[in-house]
Amino acid sequence: MNQTEEKLMHHEYDGIREYDNPTPGWWHLIFIASIIFSVFYAMYWHMSPLSSSIEEKWKQSQVAEYQRLFGELGTLHNDETTLKMLIGKADMMAVAEGTFQTTCASCHGKDGGGINGVNLTDDSYKNVKVATDIFNVVTDGANNGAMPSWKNQFSENERILLAAYIMTLRGKQPASPKQAEGNPIPAWGF
Amino acid sequence: MAAQLTTELGRSPVTTAGYGRMEKFSYDDAVVRKFLIATLIWGLVAFLVGLIVAFELVLPTILKYVPWLGVLVNQPDSPLNGLGQYLTFGRLRPLHTNAAIFAFAGNALFAAIYYSTQRLCKARMWSDLLSNLHFWGWQFIIVCAALTLPMGITAGKEYAELEWPIDLLIAVVWLGFFGTNFFMTLKNRRERHMYVALWFYIATIVTVTILHVFNSLAVPASFFKSYSVYAGVQDAFMQWWYGHNAVAFFLTTPFLGLMYYFLPKAAGKPVYSYRLSIVHFWTLVFIYIWAGPHHLHYTSLPAWASSLGMLFSVMLWMPSWGGMINGLLTLRGAWNQVAADPILKFFVVGVTFYGMSTFEGPMLSVKSVNALSHYTDWTIAHVHAGALGWNGFMTFGMAYWLLPRLFQAPLWSKRLMATHFWIATIGILLYIIPIYFAGITQGLMWRAFNETGRLQFPEFVETVTRLMPFYWIRVLGGLLYIAGMILMIVNALMTWRARPAVYEEPVHEAPALIPGYVDEPAPESHLVGNLEVGRRMDLFIQGWWHRVWERKPLKFTIWVIIAVCVASLFEIIPTFLIRSNVPSIASVQPYTPLELMGREIYIAEGCYNCHSQMIRPIWAETKRFGEYSKPGEFVYDHPFQWGSRRIGPDLAREGGRQSHDWHVRHLEDPRQLIPQSVMPSYQHLLNEKLDFDSIQSRIDAMAMLGVPYGDAVKKGRGAELAKAQAAAIAKDLVIQGGYADLEDKKVLALVAYLQRLGTDISKPPPTAEGMPVAVSGGTP
Repeated sequence: MNQTEEKLMHHEYDGIREYDNPTPGWWHLIFIASIIFSVFYAMYWHMSPLSSSIEEKWKQSQVAEYQRLFGELGTLHNDETTLKMLIGKADMMAVAEGTFQTTCASCHGKDGGGINGVNLTDDSYKNVKVATDIFNVVTDGANNGAMPSWKNQFSENERILLAAYIMTLRGKQPASPKQAEGNPIPAWGF
Repeated sequence: MAAQLTTELGRSPVTTAGYGRMEKFSYDDAVVRKFLIATLIWGLVAFLVGLIVAFELVLPTILKYVPWLGVLVNQPDSPLNGLGQYLTFGRLRPLHTNAAIFAFAGNALFAAIYYSTQRLCKARMWSDLLSNLHFWGWQFIIVCAALTLPMGITAGKEYAELEWPIDLLIAVVWLGFFGTNFFMTLKNRRERHMYVALWFYIATIVTVTILHVFNSLAVPASFFKSYSVYAGVQDAFMQWWYGHNAVAFFLTTPFLGLMYYFLPKAAGKPVYSYRLSIVHFWTLVFIYIWAGPHHLHYTSLPAWASSLGMLFSVMLWMPSWGGMINGLLTLRGAWNQVAADPILKFFVVGVTFYGMSTFEGPMLSVKSVNALSHYTDWTIAHVHAGALGWNGFMTFGMAYWLLPRLFQAPLWSKRLMATHFWIATIGILLYIIPIYFAGITQGLMWRAFNETGRLQFPEFVETVTRLMPFYWIRVLGGLLYIAGMILMIVNALMTWRARPAVYEEPVHEAPALIPGYVDEPAPESHLVGNLEVGRRMDLFIQGWWHRVWERKPLKFTIWVIIAVCVASLFEIIPTFLIRSNVPSIASVQPYTPLELMGREIYIAEGCYNCHSQMIRPIWAETKRFGEYSKPGEFVYDHPFQWGSRRIGPDLAREGGRQSHDWHVRHLEDPRQLIPQSVMPSYQHLLNEKLDFDSIQSRIDAMAMLGVPYGDAVKKGRGAELAKAQAAAIAKDLVIQGGYADLEDKKVLALVAYLQRLGTDISKPPPTAEGMPVAVSGGTP
């Protein structure tokens, strides 16, 4: 619009004048569209049976993940056969490694060499005599809380899987191994 | 003056009734000069503190790189020994945000309001005494903040950190001095109608008062310590109702008022649309206030509140853009003027950043976008686009326009002003672009899974070290922005030196307003052949009725209060009254006395500036941090500590994840355990003794808020219980790793608190009454 055609308002404040221009049409359109969108959004997410809540979606992910991991295996038992079987499954070990990195690495080191927690790569163990003891240490903790209990954070299946992964750390060559603690124990036997 | 009168009278051919005798008056520019100088000084301080905290992220061990500095603050015989603990990120970041918002932007908006209100009202400020009390009172508050925040005296709620005595002072200075002075000036004005800038000032003053008072309600435990009366979900809701609307009514509405006055003044052009200013003012004021919960998406806040926050943010897009349209379109046909005048350049870039931020805000409030952006640097980039671009540039434009007028001497150097514009513009871009990259990078890293279904970046610190190149560019951007500020200060100083010996104070003349004014008759609708209803609608949309409101400040103010309060109460009442919003969990118990003291240390050290305590129900997040947080877990959290940014990992389920020994070593020097950590060392917590004597007053204050402390209150056993728990932890600590003699030190309280976090939901419910504070031993 040519400026000379615009209508000035009569009023003036400290020299400031105002035009009587209308609010732009696209402004109205988007504003009304945002209101209509909001009504439909609220109806869909809060009144319709078609939508599921954030918590429900999370639950679905959890079920799917558990199904993916343990669907074929069912309930695991903390025995040597199971541990041996898990160690043989590369994809299961990759999952357990992820858990180890998020949960255990801050004390035991990324490669299991030990920082504040014990070295898991050498042959000496403080609270483990046979392979199935690892699960108990993970579950209940040890040494007055120096090793925390993970009973509440992980399911039994997950703890058994983690124990299997910890077995595989033995014999690895960490970057900066911590001094051995506890007593040497015999090899796992496989 | 006479010409103005003719316009006013000529417009109203019916009568000249309503105008009394001519009166003489002058404007108080001395107080504007003071506020402007304060703006420059505090602006520099705020930016410098920002630069320091930016450095702390890239060089967490800066003391090791600068030996003489290390010697200065670490040697026992140095006079500055121990200074380091006052300068950590957690303590300085609140100082940076408070200084930028309340000292820099605050003084700028006061300068704008005092200058323009007098001229728009054709009246001197009602009371010079109140003007000066306001100025000096506000500066005193700023100094108090600058002293208390580094000392760790904080209420622990973002942008509302100041403790209760300072909060009271703010209420008195803001409403008692500033508000009274402003509204009395409105009452005594000689301009019949209020210009749009004044509407925005009214909204600012009343709403900030409401926000500040209701968010800051607290029960004092001592002169320097108080607890928010709200807890957990409700506290989070109140905090972000406040926090979001502080952005709205402290950083947006007054600056829109500033724009509506100074931009057309500087350009010498009429404002684009009067009608748009009416529509966008009222929609903005009404809609903004609902939007706070968008800061709490996916948290324990009930879903309906979260959705309201999102939807009102989306609806807020156009009302916000109304201001941008009116600003930019006012400059139509004046672009050659903009090219020649750095002041207009500042305004154009400022308004453009406003437009960008107010598009980005609604976008970030969409839940699925927020799932990525929340807790990342994306938010940091967003607020700096707003603060540096909109608030900063509008302030700079205003300041350059005011300098020659206030100091009554030509601006010392126009070239320097142009240089300031360019380096500050480049500075902003160098700040925000890498920080956008940093935010999106970190957000994507947190949620990345590899093909086996494990987190691709399981170690949190990886997602921080990856950001370092971006953080370095940010430091550079910040340096440029500060350099620009220094140029402006030099320019101001040199202009000030050329001031006259005595400032001229021109005397103006205008008739007093007296009753008997007759409004313009209602216009006729141009519509023909429509129903009467249609014609009325047309007239309503034309907005002529608003003209009457504009000459009634009291009525206008009451409508603003109604708009703001109705919107607030719609969200606040259900949040507080509907029980299903916070389903209770029987096993969640109050913190033990020692843990409560630990929580106080957590708050004092500003841990919430880097660590969240809120795990969202998002798969990648629960994989990393554990079970998502439940509303019922926070019922004893006065104040809540959910945080808003993760420079460190979430701590909501930290309890029991590490040994006591790990925590003590980590606090002593995080790099002993995590070499790439950017966390400060908290050596002083291992040296300083915990004040067991102050525990009881804390417990009593908590009990007053309804926290069931049972015997610990009735028999005053707070200190005794705390000592017992500390002894138990100290014993475990010795067995675990060999730290001895820590049982009376602060660090044990903090460790006790950290070991408690998020553990209650997996405990069995209590059996007997009054057991909550019974010491459960140190072992997690």
